[in-house]
Amino acid sequence: MKTIGRRACLQIAFCFVFFSLVLTADSALAQSGGELRFCLRSEPKTFDPLLVDEDASLSIRYLTGGVLVRVNRHSQELEPELAESWTISKDGRQITFKLRHGILFSDGSPFSAEDVAFTMQRLMDPALHSSTGDSFRSGSGAVSTKIVAPDEIAIIFPAPIAGVDRLFDQVAIMSAHSPKKEAAVLGPFMVAEYKAGSSVLLQRNPNYWKKDSKGRRLPYLDSIRLDIQPNRDVEMLRFKRGELDLINTLDSDYFDRLASSSPGLAHDAGATLDSDFMWFNQVASAPIPEYKRAWFASGNFRRAISQAINRDDLARVVFGGHAQPAIGPVSTSNKFWFNSKLKVEPYRPDAALERLKADGFHLQNGVLFDKSGNAVEFSIVTNAGSKPRERMAVMVQEDLGKLGIKVNVVTLDFPSLIERISQKFNYEAAMLGFRNVDLDPNGQMNIWLSSAEDHAWNPQQKSPATAWEAEIDRLMRAQASSVDPKKRKESFDRVQEIVAEQAPFIYLVNPNALSAVAASVEGANPGILSPQTFWNAERLTVNGTTRASR
Amino acid sequence: MAVFDSDRMPGLLSAQITVRYAGKAPVLRGLSLEIARGEVVGLVGQSGSGKSTLALAILGLLGRQRAIVEGSILFQGVDLLSLRERELRNLRGRALSLVLQSPLASLNPALRIRTQLREAWRAHCNDDATTEDCDQAIESALRSVSLPSSEQDRDFLKKRAAQLSVGQAQRVLIAMAILHRPALLIADEATSALDVITQAEILELFARLNREIGMSILYISHDLPSVAGLCQRTAILHEGQIVECGATEQIFTAPAHEYTQRLMAALPQLPARREAFAAKAKATAVE
Amino acid sequence: MNVARKLACAVVVAVCAVSLAANWLAPEGYAKQFRETPNAPPSHQHWLGTDDVGRDRFARVLYGTRISLLLAPAAALISTALAVLVGGLAGYLGGIWLRLARGFTDLFLSLPWLFLLITVRALLPLNVSPMVSVLITFFVLGVLGWAASARVLSTSADGLRNSDFILQARASGLHGPRLFFVHVLPNLKPVLYAQFWISIPVFILSEANLGILGLGVAEPMPSWGSLLRELEGLISFREEPWKLAPLLLLIVVMTSFQLLLSNEEVTA
Ligand SMILES: Nc1ncnc2c1ncn2[C@@H]1O[C@H](COP(=O)(O)OP(=O)(O)O)[C@@H](O)[C@H]1O
Ligand SMILES: [Mg+2]
Repeated sequence: MKTIGRRACLQIAFCFVFFSLVLTADSALAQSGGELRFCLRSEPKTFDPLLVDEDASLSIRYLTGGVLVRVNRHSQELEPELAESWTISKDGRQITFKLRHGILFSDGSPFSAEDVAFTMQRLMDPALHSSTGDSFRSGSGAVSTKIVAPDEIAIIFPAPIAGVDRLFDQVAIMSAHSPKKEAAVLGPFMVAEYKAGSSVLLQRNPNYWKKDSKGRRLPYLDSIRLDIQPNRDVEMLRFKRGELDLINTLDSDYFDRLASSSPGLAHDAGATLDSDFMWFNQVASAPIPEYKRAWFASGNFRRAISQAINRDDLARVVFGGHAQPAIGPVSTSNKFWFNSKLKVEPYRPDAALERLKADGFHLQNGVLFDKSGNAVEFSIVTNAGSKPRERMAVMVQEDLGKLGIKVNVVTLDFPSLIERISQKFNYEAAMLGFRNVDLDPNGQMNIWLSSAEDHAWNPQQKSPATAWEAEIDRLMRAQASSVDPKKRKESFDRVQEIVAEQAPFIYLVNPNALSAVAASVEGANPGILSPQTFWNAERLTVNGTTRASR
Repeated sequence: MAVFDSDRMPGLLSAQITVRYAGKAPVLRGLSLEIARGEVVGLVGQSGSGKSTLALAILGLLGRQRAIVEGSILFQGVDLLSLRERELRNLRGRALSLVLQSPLASLNPALRIRTQLREAWRAHCNDDATTEDCDQAIESALRSVSLPSSEQDRDFLKKRAAQLSVGQAQRVLIAMAILHRPALLIADEATSALDVITQAEILELFARLNREIGMSILYISHDLPSVAGLCQRTAILHEGQIVECGATEQIFTAPAHEYTQRLMAALPQLPARREAFAAKAKATAVE
Repeated sequence: MNVARKLACAVVVAVCAVSLAANWLAPEGYAKQFRETPNAPPSHQHWLGTDDVGRDRFARVLYGTRISLLLAPAAALISTALAVLVGGLAGYLGGIWLRLARGFTDLFLSLPWLFLLITVRALLPLNVSPMVSVLITFFVLGVLGWAASARVLSTSADGLRNSDFILQARASGLHGPRLFFVHVLPNLKPVLYAQFWISIPVFILSEANLGILGLGVAEPMPSWGSLLRELEGLISFREEPWKLAPLLLLIVVMTSFQLLLSNEEVTA
């Protein structure tokens, strides 16, 4: 009785908040911004923006770093920031930025082309081992910079880089002269306090250059408190208690629970760029029986398996509907690069069986045999601890069971799994996921090139084993060396078609971007690209009165 | 080799030993003791004097206590100290048996009486012996110690130690000890933990068994009256040696050694008891 | 037989009977996925609701009971037997043996188990049927789970070694294995039983954890362990109390067994 009463009270409070929100939507922006609080799920390893290579540091870089251009996380378009405009030379080897005037670092030192030159040189210094820098390395030879004017800088690459302008979204400009080094920033916030293992406090950068349409200086927020908290249960609990304002990524269980207890706080922004998929081992030297290798090498077999998997069920049952059946290497959410001619492989077990029959398979007493009389049985390895993937594996097991195929699901600890699929090759099929942070297909070179390490089904080939892999190699290289977006898209569209035909990866789902935003946060517009909830942090405000009433 | 007086019964055991526990001064120092066939010998000494040590040494059970035994223990003409463990094992419970001080602790709490008796019997029976043979042996041993046979009390053998009285338990142990009609029974303080009446009964029993089976008994005790009642000969153990050994009557009436004299002086001087005691001593001597 | 014991007996008999009758009570089996109703609350068709992929929880509990109730005690038997061999024997022999066994046990307890189990998994083929996988798992648990029990047993047996009745038995000519099995072992019985009963729930839970290493009971076969894993991350029991059914069953069955057994001890 008591709990019902309390819940009713809460609901009334929410209604009230909602009303006041609507009524005061405009005036809220006029107030001072307050403090935004959310969790980092691990300790930030570095505050040096050029050395960032893990999530926590990435979040801090996003909030504190000033960049020349920024990919709008909503429109996916590239927008000017510190650079007013930019041009790429015809041969694709040079990009020239025209910089904004009168911008100061957080410590008051002025910003000019010199800082950009300094940043690029440091970034490309081989001794720094920057993974951000790696994406700029093309061909052999050094990257050079040329200061044309204090507000204009040209960066010259030894070989053309496709989509080079977008890469600058990752480059936070450092000051060439400031004694405070990386602590002098150009972004909306700056690191004010760091307690190892506990929290990072960001304060608004008083010198931040951007203003809103009404001429008010951004950011609205006074500060952001980032608590370091790896435990998601605790994160959720603290969110519910009103101690946190955002949860950047939720899994579907939490999402549904939150959505039912406090609707309006849970946000589903649609399919992410990430995907879950499975593949068969096609490595010629793999320690698996010859006849099984023959199955896995057959495009018909792989397509049949793909057709026999009910992706709608996976999305609906495993993700509670918060996932989209996957089509291929590119999520439908990738507005520019997705090949819209492709459709989800429909669930057609009958068609799958026809395909298998074409390869000489036959059903006998409910068991599928190949042409030499071997019963079709294989194992799927996947990483333990990922509930969605374990559940998907069980559902695939059931789906394929209907085709007379016996699937054994084996969950392994991550290191063992990686050892099996990338060194020993003693597995038959694997199920894993890709986290895709990059809209651009260049980010997938490491997967599609037959010589690449992450060419999971048959990595590091000296020469492509099949004609279609050779074709993918050619197309991927073509798109990478072209600067014409149209031509690049044509090439990559074709890659997507080949992958759909050959099914080297059997794509299963693209999970949706699920997040939670407290009612006290105004201006939030969660998206599918990282950072999902705070990509527009400079325009967020936290309403203190709303928070108090929660 | 010990020499026996011609008027005494033939020799059964003749021990001449020194025993020391690891890292300690010797407990027994050149102790010498003789027991004749069919003789009941009392061994008296204060606690800690090494009486149990002697008992265990005879049974060859000191090995596990990390004790060093030197000298010789001639038993039926064989030096026990020169025997291998397997040969010793063959004597234990068959020719030599032991009854300990606390009967209830000496019975395995987890086992039924029957199981324990059977195990003790099986340790030395012939290969072709049957369960009936075993049960018969148990029956007769029980009869010898005046315990109910299976006809009288069907459930007796099914009991466990906790369900017995102390006297019953001691009788069971004695029955177990005489299962194989041993030549020598060592009773180490076998009556010390018993109440007076039970003690008298058990002493009776020992005397009877000695008479009926002709079994020698080494009766270890610090209780002088019981020794006087039972033993034909008494040995006094003091500081690792037998300081005096002779006919019980002589020891009690005319102790020679200064330690023995002190022992006798410490006896409570109840006149009634003394008379009964003298009478008993006389009776024994007459026998 | 007192009331508690009667009740315990009834529970055990009922649980065994019901799990043996799983084929009739849950004709659809434990693997069938009712994909239209995943995570459903209890209903006519699904008495305990359905799990994440729509499998009937009641059926899974029945079949899981069958497997765990058969195999966890079997594993406990193996580990207790090993514990007797190592701990009991060493305690009874004493001296250098006892010190050796204690050292070995401590070493065994401090081994990097995760690593060893990963190696075990690496040595096994990937294509093993769920039944074989579950057998291997419990066998491994049984073989590896003896050390803690052995330690307890060695202490108890050490206490027995110097007792009067063992001396008496020796003086009666008993020796060797016979002395150990007839005289020592029965006195270790209470400790043995305790170790045995402690092992069972421990093994049931360990089996669930082994799933992380690719050992454990393989999908789609259910076990108490895999059913308990469902409770991971379950925040509000109040909203979905039926999910606690496997846990409740585990507790009830283990308590019943213990009641039955401890009473037997006293009356026997
Ligand atoms: N296992 C042992 N290790 C070391 N010393 C022992 C051991 N057993 C007995 N002793 C010592 O030997 C002496 C004689 O003991 P014991 O033969 O038991 O005496 P009694 O039976 O006459 O009371 C005692 O001083 C005792 O401390
Ligand atoms: Mg003693």
